[in-house]
Order: sequence, then C-alpha cells, then structure tokens
Amino acid sequence: MVKYIPSSLDDALKFLAEHDAYICAGGTDLMVLKRNIAGHLPKFDKDVIYVSNLKEISKIYEDDKYVHIGATATLDEIYNNKLTPELLKKAIGEVASVNIRHFATLAGNIANASPAGDTIVIDYLLDAELILKSVRGERAVKAKDFVLGVRKIDRQKDELITEILFPKTKYDAGMWYKVGSRKADSISKVSVAGIYSIQGGKVSKFALAYGSSAITVRRSEALEKEITGLSQKELANRIEEFVEKYSQTISPIDDQRSTKDYRLLVAKNITRKFLKEVVEAKHE
Amino acid sequence: MAKIKFILNDKPVELDVDPSARLIDVLRVNLNLTATKEGCGEGSCGACVVLMDNKGVNSCLLPIANVIGHKITTLEGFKHTKQFEVLKMCFADEGGSQCGFCTPGMIFAAHSLLSSNPHPNEEEVREALSGNLCRCTGYQSIVHAILRASKEGEGLW
Ligand SMILES: Cc1cc2nc3c(=O)[nH]c(=O)nc-3n(C[C@H](O)[C@H](O)[C@H](O)COP(=O)(O)OP(=O)(O)OC[C@H]3O[C@@H](n4cnc5c(N)ncnc54)[C@H](O)[C@@H]3O)c2cc1C
Ligand code: FES
Ligand code: FES
Repeated sequence: MVKYIPSSLDDALKFLAEHDAYICAGGTDLMVLKRNIAGHLPKFDKDVIYVSNLKEISKIYEDDKYVHIGATATLDEIYNNKLTPELLKKAIGEVASVNIRHFATLAGNIANASPAGDTIVIDYLLDAELILKSVRGERAVKAKDFVLGVRKIDRQKDELITEILFPKTKYDAGMWYKVGSRKADSISKVSVAGIYSIQGGKVSKFALAYGSSAITVRRSEALEKEITGLSQKELANRIEEFVEKYSQTISPIDDQRSTKDYRLLVAKNITRKFLKEVVEAKHE
Repeated sequence: MAKIKFILNDKPVELDVDPSARLIDVLRVNLNLTATKEGCGEGSCGACVVLMDNKGVNSCLLPIANVIGHKITTLEGFKHTKQFEVLKMCFADEGGSQCGFCTPGMIFAAHSLLSSNPHPNEEEVREALSGNLCRCTGYQSIVHAILRASKEGEGLW
C-alpha cells in the first residue's frame, strides 16, 4: 500500500490520477474511522495521500463575488480570518474542541458527509460552491449537489477539493443554533441556520437550513419563496403554519445521540423562534 | 517507510517511519518520550495533546506525515520553559493535578490558550478546556490554576 506525501498540488493530482486513494487532510474523521490498537498503524485498506501541508490550497482570500477558503486551511485559521462569513465562524466555534479545530478542515467536514456535519449546514445556507481539481481540469459544484447521502459525495477518484467559495451575499441577520448534549465538544442532535433581510416591512430575503435532521442538510426553496415577499404582519399570522410546513421537510431519526421526537420538537421550536425574530425585526 | 523531518522540542529530527503512523506512537514507541498519554485514542479526551506550532493538537489523530516541517513540543521539551514553571506551580497550589494522567494535555491546552489570549476570563478558560477530560479534579481547580497562571505569569505569554 502506498502512503504518499505530495510535494505540490500538481504532484498530488498526478498521484490521484493513478491511484484510488484516501485523501487525508486534518485526519480528524479519517483517523477515527481507520483506528487500530495503540502502537499499531491505522488500518487502511487502500492507498493514502496526505494533503494537509499543501500550502497552495490553504489560502483564504476574496474577489468581487466570493470569499475563497482553501481546502487545507484549518478551522482555527478560518475562524480567525476577517473575510470569513460571520455565520460560518459561529458554526466553527462550536465544532469539536479548540484542539481539534487547530488541524481539522472545512473541506474535510463536507467531504466526510456526516448528517451531523455542522459547517455543511452553513455551506448549504449560504450557497457555497466547491472547486474540485484533477489532471483533467477543474469544476465547480454547489454544496447541495455535492453531498449525495451519508458519506456519499459527488467526487471522482482523481479529484481533490481545492477551495470552498462563499458568495458575498448581504443579509440583515443570521442565526446558528446547535443543540448537543453539552456546550462544547459534542456532536449535534439538531442544528438550524437561517438568514433574513427586511425591506419596507417585507421579508426581502429568507433562508433556513437544518442539520442532523435528515440524511443530508435540508433547505426548502419552495417555502423560502413562499415566505419571501410576505409582510412582517402577514408572516406573524402564519408562523404556526410555516413551523408545521418546515417540520414536514425534515425526517429526523432515532439514534445513539437522540430520538426522532426530540429532534422534531427542537427543530420546530427553533423554527418558531427564528420566524418570530423575523417578524419582530426592525429595518432601516 | 519515508524520511520524516520536523522540529521536536526545538531540535531538528529525521526519522524513517511509516507516514501513516500516529504522532503519539512515534513519540512513545519510536522515541521513548512517554510524557504524552493516550486515553481515548479518538480525539475526545485530550490526554494526548501536544503543541504543533505552539497550538494544542491531539497527537492520537495526527498522522506523522502531517507533522513534516512543523514544530512539535512535548512536555519533555516544554518542562524547561518559564511558562511551564508557572503552570506547574499554579496546578500544584490549586490542586489542579491528582492522578496526573490528564495533566500534560491540560498544560498544553492552557499554554495554547494563554499564547493567543494572555488574560482569559473563566468562560474562555472553560472553552479552551472543552476537549480535555479529567476524571479526578472536577475541573474547578484546573480552571483556577490557569486563571492564576495568567496573573502570576504576567508578561510570559
Ligand atoms: C472528538 C471529535 C469531535 C468532533 N466534533 C465535531 C462537531 O462537533 N461537528 C462536526 O461537524 N464535526 C465534528 N467532528 C468531525 C471532524 O472533526 C470534522 O468533520 C472535520 O472538519 C474533518 O476535517 P479533517 O480535515 O480532519 O478531515 P479528514 O479526516 O482528513 O477527512 C475527512 C473526509 O474528507 C475527505 N477530504 C478531506 N479533504 C479533502 C479534499 N481536499 N478533497 C477531497 N476529499 C477530502 C477525506 O478523504 C475524508 O473522507 C469531530 C471529530 C472528533 C474526533
Ligand atoms: S487520546 Fe487523543 S484525545 Fe484521547
Ligand atoms: S487528574 Fe486524574 S484525570 Fe485529571
């Protein structure tokens, strides 16, 4: 089995073109998955390539349209960068522990495609796109099209995520709500993220995304369309209707961390709280 | 096997090891540096925390390949520093160490915090310890030790 340490991005892409390999970034998911007993090598069943030291894809920068976050930037670096969208910072601030955030990555969080991946909720909410490179070229794919199911992603064997792009969308306010079994270092039972803007007493922008509530993150374009354009007064009278409608877009499950009923109840409560905030928001 | 070069406790090292080996195993087995402890082996307890480029990281999850070119500090190196002297004294005085198994990781979580935030409040100390478990102390004494180190070590961080 080959364990490869690439010297450059091109070198890494060349390797991926010729090997069906695990990609190891921070390793905080992969090393747990391949864990062996102490003193023994992790149990890999195919080749591995270690990309965390690829400087070329670690930069955080902006252009007119996007904030670009390099695939090997650590969660800590992203958290401390002034270009990072505030909501993403909020979510990162609650991922794992401070120590783990010093080497885990954003690309690794979405590529791991866990239904409880916290930053994936923000990727969906803010319409993030991933750049995937291979020796064949590069392509952009929306976060919501990239995650196909539990641990299933739209990646060809020769492709490497090099960047995650966040459109520079403006909105009045955002919300990030993570419910876990304790305040820090806990995997989400439910998470909800939302954004809105108000103009002239009307909802001019609205989006909500749910994590740990289905196989993948859930966002309803239909409901967002229905709510956008409503006056705050109209929305005030329809809060319970939308709480109910939103609860039908998610399908939480019973597992070792929580129950279906609890998750549904919490998701509804957070949705109600957020809608109330939108109704009561003052606008300039 | 591959040649792995990094800085360990301020000295350059070059090792011939499997790139997938965990840093904690390289430290404890290959180099016989046993101050770093293994608890859970899956990132949850913080007993294995060492410094990479002056930031706390879980050595049970770090493949040695990812350490290439970085600065690793274990307690064997850190114990010669002034910061350690202060932390050691404060942990001892406040009763922040009982069986001691979590202590190396706690010391590095503390140092990592104080390096980026020399005057943390209690909330920030607790946040910094979020990935370090202790089965003995109940945490209160560790939090007090770190708050005290921030005062007594004024100017060191
Ligand atoms: C104790 C503990 C607590 C945790 N708590 C949380 C939590 O609260 N919330 C949360 O969301 N997660 C949590 N995690 C999971 C994990 O830390 C995150 O998912 C992290 O962001 C993964 O990043 P990584 O760089 O370590 O990924 P890795 O383990 O290196 O990789 C994860 C997956 O992504 C793929 N990958 C990585 N980089 C690329 C790339 N550039 N191109 C293509 N594929 C790539 C890998 O092949 C692998 O399949 C926790 C983990 C631990 C151990
Ligand atoms: S042994 Fe590494 S975190 Fe528990
Ligand atoms: S002192 Fe025993 S585990 Fe912390």
